[in-house]
Amino acid sequence: MNSADHGGDRSQQRELFVTYHRTRDLAVRDELVAANLRLALHLARRFANRGVSIDDLEQVASLGLLRAIDRFDPDRKLEFSTFATPTIMGELKRHFRDKGWSVRVPRRVQELHLRLNSVVADLTHQLGRSPTITELASAARASEEEVLEAMEAAQAYRSASLDGRAESYPESDGAQLGVDDLGLFQAENRLLVEELLAHLAPREQLLLRLRFYEEMTQQQIAERLGVSQMHVSRLLARCLEDLRRRVEFAQNLS
Amino acid sequence: MSEPDEARSVDVDEIRLTLPALFPYGRVARLAVTGMASRNGYTYDDVEDLRIAIGELFGILVAEELPDVRLQLTCLLVPDALDITAARLPGARIERVTDLSRQILAAVVDQAEIDESGGRIRIVKRLGTRS
Repeated sequence: MNSADHGGDRSQQRELFVTYHRTRDLAVRDELVAANLRLALHLARRFANRGVSIDDLEQVASLGLLRAIDRFDPDRKLEFSTFATPTIMGELKRHFRDKGWSVRVPRRVQELHLRLNSVVADLTHQLGRSPTITELASAARASEEEVLEAMEAAQAYRSASLDGRAESYPESDGAQLGVDDLGLFQAENRLLVEELLAHLAPREQLLLRLRFYEEMTQQQIAERLGVSQMHVSRLLARCLEDLRRRVEFAQNLS
Repeated sequence: MSEPDEARSVDVDEIRLTLPALFPYGRVARLAVTGMASRNGYTYDDVEDLRIAIGELFGILVAEELPDVRLQLTCLLVPDALDITAARLPGARIERVTDLSRQILAAVVDQAEIDESGGRIRIVKRLGTRS
């Protein structure tokens, strides 16, 4: 990920950062930009096919890179790429967020949208089941229509990607598995996982497939489905918990 | 819930909604359908499922540029289910349905039938059958 490919480049880059930190010489900054542009472009591509042109994304990511270079303190023992990645990602996400909310979601609805997440979590816990909209509305001291509008506000984030949605994510027959960040999904466990998946409800199977086989982030899943990221997170947590229990059960048997 | 059929037919409310076949109207369709679901006591999770389903119907039926085509949603409200048919007006073949779209629909509703040649999709979401 770091564009400094070998050790020599790395210490050279550190020197450049020390120099830039001291002098704020724009020519030095240009060198640093050139050396790290690959990282910015790589991150920009992760947001591709979501309705914002790649040119725009690369521009936003480059701005994020500039910001990171300006803020990076070479005295801290931190790789620049480690420092820059969240800065650039933040810039890209903000770009989407700003675009998203521009769909005129009234402030009152935005606030309810944000508040709703915790009300849903609390009520679900209290009732031991998903609350009805009527129950949610009275707990949130809002009308049912307001609750529905607030749920719809999650969609506003996605407005930028509406045009590209059908093509947003490549088709997969599930055979082209990629990297896994959960040991459970590694190759040696495939049979076990497939057996476990077969026991889950279709909605859970879909979520796990998107999350671990298609390697979509929770936010990407939320955008593709048009629901809030909190909702995706809640559903995923629920079904991973279910899977974990089944794995433990299977292990106890063997 | 278990009334005889003649009693049930009285309980069917039919709501029709005709919209331009444009993505931004997906929001209108979702709000209308979730409004009906909310009246019938559907839960938050079910309503989220329905929102996903309606979004998917739009994704499939509006994916191609079809001038002068509208979408008609026919929603049947029965006591324990919401039965929705979305069709292109005038009818036009659906060229492509991705596997992912099919999986999403199968995951969020109890029944999903895609009639590609007729350009219509029917979904049924039952009340309180899923967690």
